[in-house]
Amino acid sequence: MKNSIIQDYLVTEMPFYLEQADELLIARTAFNNRLPILLKGPTGCGKTRFMQRLAWELARPLITVSCHDDLSTSDLVGRFLIKGGEAVWMDGPLTKAVRAGAICYLDEIVEARKDTTVVIHPLADDRRELPIEKLGETLTAPPEFMLAISYNPGYQSVLKDLKQSTRQRFVSFEFNYPPAELEATIVLEESGIEQPLAEKLVRLATMTRSLKDSGLQEGASTRLLIHAGKLIKSGITPRTACKAAITETLTDDHEMLAALEEMTSSLF
Amino acid sequence: MGVLDTHELKAKFIQAVLPDILNDWEIDEIIEPLHGLPDSALNEVFRQVTAIWPVSHALCNNFLHAVANGLTCLHHSQFGDWVKAILEAYESGGLHQARQLLERVDETFLCSMRGETGISLAEVAGRLQPYATGLAGYPLALTAGAEIYTDTAAVYLPSRIAILPQLAENFLLYKLIISFQWAFSAIGTFSLPFSEISPAIIATAKRYHAAVPPEFSCLSDFFSVFPNPSAVAHLFHLGETARATSFLHKTLPGLMRESIPIFQALAQDILPNARCATAHLQRTIFSHALQDSRGLLPFATPIAIQFNALFQHDKSSYDSAIFVVEAYDWFLAQAEDSCPPIIFQGVLRPAEVLAVKRKKMSETKEQFITALAAIIKAQSVQDVPYDEKAYPTPSTSFSDLETQTGLIIPPEKTGPPPKDTERQQEKTIEFITIDDTRIVLPDEVKKLAREIIDDFGQIPNQYISSAKQAAGSALAQGNAPPPQDGEPLGGTGLYIYDEWDYRRSGFRKNWCSLTTKKIIPVTGAFVGNTLAKYKGHLTRLKRQFEMMRNQERFVRRQKDGDEIDLDALIETLADIKAGLSPSEDLFIRLARDNRDISVLFLIDMSSSTEGWVNTAIKESLLLMCESLEILGDTYGIYGFSGMRRSRSELFLIKGLDETYSEEVKGRIAAIAPQEYTRMGPPIRHLTTLLAKNDARIRLLITLSDGKPEDYDDYKGDYAIEDTRHALIEAKALGVHPFCITIDKQAHAYLPHMYGEVNYICIDEVRKLPNRIPEIYRGLTS
Repeated sequence: MKNSIIQDYLVTEMPFYLEQADELLIARTAFNNRLPILLKGPTGCGKTRFMQRLAWELARPLITVSCHDDLSTSDLVGRFLIKGGEAVWMDGPLTKAVRAGAICYLDEIVEARKDTTVVIHPLADDRRELPIEKLGETLTAPPEFMLAISYNPGYQSVLKDLKQSTRQRFVSFEFNYPPAELEATIVLEESGIEQPLAEKLVRLATMTRSLKDSGLQEGASTRLLIHAGKLIKSGITPRTACKAAITETLTDDHEMLAALEEMTSSLF
Repeated sequence: MGVLDTHELKAKFIQAVLPDILNDWEIDEIIEPLHGLPDSALNEVFRQVTAIWPVSHALCNNFLHAVANGLTCLHHSQFGDWVKAILEAYESGGLHQARQLLERVDETFLCSMRGETGISLAEVAGRLQPYATGLAGYPLALTAGAEIYTDTAAVYLPSRIAILPQLAENFLLYKLIISFQWAFSAIGTFSLPFSEISPAIIATAKRYHAAVPPEFSCLSDFFSVFPNPSAVAHLFHLGETARATSFLHKTLPGLMRESIPIFQALAQDILPNARCATAHLQRTIFSHALQDSRGLLPFATPIAIQFNALFQHDKSSYDSAIFVVEAYDWFLAQAEDSCPPIIFQGVLRPAEVLAVKRKKMSETKEQFITALAAIIKAQSVQDVPYDEKAYPTPSTSFSDLETQTGLIIPPEKTGPPPKDTERQQEKTIEFITIDDTRIVLPDEVKKLAREIIDDFGQIPNQYISSAKQAAGSALAQGNAPPPQDGEPLGGTGLYIYDEWDYRRSGFRKNWCSLTTKKIIPVTGAFVGNTLAKYKGHLTRLKRQFEMMRNQERFVRRQKDGDEIDLDALIETLADIKAGLSPSEDLFIRLARDNRDISVLFLIDMSSSTEGWVNTAIKESLLLMCESLEILGDTYGIYGFSGMRRSRSELFLIKGLDETYSEEVKGRIAAIAPQEYTRMGPPIRHLTTLLAKNDARIRLLITLSDGKPEDYDDYKGDYAIEDTRHALIEAKALGVHPFCITIDKQAHAYLPHMYGEVNYICIDEVRKLPNRIPEIYRGLTS
C-alpha cells in the first residue's frame, strides 16, 4: 500500500524542459553520488519544472513541499494523530520520501521555520539520516533518496538568508531567465503560439526586467509569458492577454501599469 | 463692484507678506499695477500673494504685473490653478520659465486648462520614463531641451507638444519621438565602423581636396571631410532614419501601426517645394512608415534605389555612410537648402554622444580599477603569509611591475580576425594574470572588463597598473573605506526635502535642506545620578518590559499541532466514556508572537526646552533605553533643531542598528537646547529611515514641548499644516506617528496635527520620566 501511494508522485510524462547549460547532467551526477542539490533563482524561471524533469529522468517519485513561515519540523517529519481514541503516527512528506527513496523538493526553504534545519542538516550531509524524535527512531536514507531545496535570492530579506551551515551542504545551481532565443522556444513549446509572437513576448519580458528596481520589484517571469501565450492561443488578442497575464500581475501602481501598457501597445 | 483705494490695497498687501516688513515706497511700487482692479479679484490676488511671496519676491512682483493681463482671459477663481502652474514652472526652470506662463496666459496655461491639445513632458514622463528605460535596458532619461536629440544617456524633448489636434496624438508623438531617438542608438547610428569605411572616406577627401583626419572619434569627423558638413549630416540622418523606421517596424510594430495617423498628419506638412531637396527622401520615409507604396513613385533614380535599399533589415550605418558619399553631389545639385528634419528625427549631436561615451568610459575605468584593486588587495592579503615570493610586496617600483603585468584573454585564437558574432563570445575575460598570479574575476568585474574591451579592443595596461597602485596604497593605509552607494548629495550628508504649503495645496519643491550631525558625548555624573535616582522605578520597569517579551509559547487544546495534548486527550476519553460529545481540540501548538517593532524617538532640541524640560527629557530617554534593552525592540533616537529652511539639523543620538553603549549614554547626557523647531524635514527624514526597516510595526514617537516654529515664516498654520502633511506622508509609508508633548495648549492643535488618538499631553514635566515608558508599553502591547 505504501508503494501505491508513492506511485502517485511518479512523473509519468516527460515534462518539457530546455537545458540552459549542463544542469541536468550535473544534477544526475549529484544523484548518483548521493549529494543534495540547491536551486536558486527568481520566481517562474523553471526551478520546479527542472525538478520534474529530473525526477522523470531518474524515474523517482517527486514529493514537493512549498514552505511557508509556519512550516515546522513536524510538518516535514510527521506527527501523532488521534483516530478513534488511539494515537496514530502519520509520516510527513520528508519521512515518506526517505522511506520510499523518492526525491523530496523543499520549495522556498528560507520561508520555513528555523527549526527545520535540525532535520535537514543530517539528511544533507554524508550521514543521510532522518531522526524521528517522537518515534525514537532514525531512518537512513536509501541511495535513491535525494533532497533538493530552492530559494530566491532576489527578494528575501536579510533575515531570511540561507545560513552558510545549510547552504554548504548542497550542490548549487543558479537559475535565471533563459537567453532570449531559448526563452522564445520555451514559450512557443509550452503555449503553442507562433514564433514571432513568442519573440515579442520575450521582448516585452526583457523590457520589464530592465525596470527591476526602478519601479518594479521583479520583471516578468517565463511563467507569465507562457500564461500570456496560452491566452493568446485561445483567441484573446495579444494586448488584452498581456494586460491580464503580465502587466496587471506585475504591479498595482497605476503609473507603472500605464508605462507597461505603453510597452505592450508598442510591441503588439 | 467696489474698487479699493490705495490705503486699503497697502494694508491688504502688508498683511499678505507678513512677517516681512517693507518700506512704504517699496509697497507703492509693487502694488501699483493693481489699481483699478475689482476687489473680488483683488482678494484672490492677495490670497495668491501669500503663496508666491515666500518663494520669490521677484516672481511675486512679476505676478502682480501680469494680473491685469491674466484677468483678460481668466476668471479670478482660476487664479489658484494658474499660480500653481506658475510656481511649478518657477521651481523647475526659474523666473524665465515662469514668465512664459505669466505673459502668454492663453497659449501656455489656458489651452491646457481647456484640455485642448498640448501635453507637457512633465505629464507624460510618469508613463514614458519607465517605457524608455524598458526599451533601452538602462535608465534612459527623458529631459526637456530646446532641441530633440539623444546623447544615448538621455533623450532631449520639447517640454510641451501641441502639434496635433488631439491630446492622445500628442502623447503618442512623444512616445514616437522617444522610440525613434532610442532606435538611433540601438541601430548603431553613433558607432560608424570607421575602419571599414575609411577607403570611401579617403577617396571622398581626395575628391574634395580635404584633409583626412588622423583619427575618427565621432561622426563629426566623417562629416567634416565634405565641403558642406551640415548637408552631409542631414543626408546621413535621413539614411539612418530610414533604417530606424524599418527597425521600429520590426521591433515595435504596434507603435508603428498606432502612429499611422501621426505619420499621415506629419507627411502633409512636407510642402511640395521643389527647392527643398530632401522632401523626396522624407516622403519616402513616410511611405515606408505607412507601408504604403504609392509614395515611393516620385523618382526612380539610382539615388532613390539606393535610399530605398536602406529600408532593408540587413543594412548598417556603413550603408548609410556609403549612401551619403554617393548622394552628396546629387544632393547639392538639387538645391541649396534642405527641408527641416521630421520632428521625430530630431537632430544628430555626435559631439554630445562622444562626451557621454567618454564619461562612461572614465566611469567604467574607475569602477574597474577600484574593483580590481579590491581583488588584488584581498588576494595579496591572503597570499603574502604563505608565499611571499609569488607576490611582490607593493613596495616594488611600478616600472618593474609594469613589465610583469600580463593580460590573458582565453581562449587563444589563431587564424583570421573573427566576425562580429564570434567576437561576442570570444571577448569574455575569465581572469587576468598579474605577476604570474592568476586573478579570477567575479561577474561584475567581468562585465566591466567586457565593456572596456568593447571600447578599446583590450584592457590598457595602465588600468591594471593603476589598480595595483590603488591596492598597494590601500594596503599601506590600512583599510580604506569603500565608496558607499546611496549617499546623499555626493556624500555630503545633506538631504533635501520638499515642504507642504497649504495655501497653494502643493509642495514647495526642494525647499528645506537637512544635515545630520553627531552629538559629542559628554562624560559626567548625569547618567549615574539618573540611574541611581530612579533605581526602584527602573527595576519595576525592567520587570514589566520583560513580561512583554513574548516569545515562543505552547498553546494547548488546539485542533492541530505538533504534539498531543495529553490532558485534553484524557478528558476527551473520559467524556466519551461518560457519553458526552468529545472535544476535537487535542493538540499542543507552538505559537510565536514576535514583537517585530522598530521605533524611532524624535526629540525636540529647540531653545524652549532649556532647563527642567531638557533634564526631564534626558532622564526619560535613559529610562527608555534601559527598558528597551530588556524588551529587545529595535530603537533609535534622534534630536532635531535648526534655523531657517536651509539649516535643519538632525542630531544622531542612537542609530537603529547601534548598540546601547557608554557612548550613547554620553550622547544622551549631552543633549542640549539648540535653536528652532522646524518639524517637517526631520519627520520626513526619519520616515524614510523607518520605511527602509522591514519591521512589522514601525513607530515614530515625537517628544516635544510646543508647536512647530522656525525663525522664518514657518509658524502658525503654515507650520502646523506642513507637520501634519509630513505625518500623513509617514502614515502612507506605513509608519505610525505618535506625539508626547508637555505643551499645555497642545489640545488646540495636536488633534488636527496628529489625529485624535495619536498624542498624549503630560501636564507636569517632572512626571515625564515615569510616564514615557508607560506610554510606550501601552502603545505596543
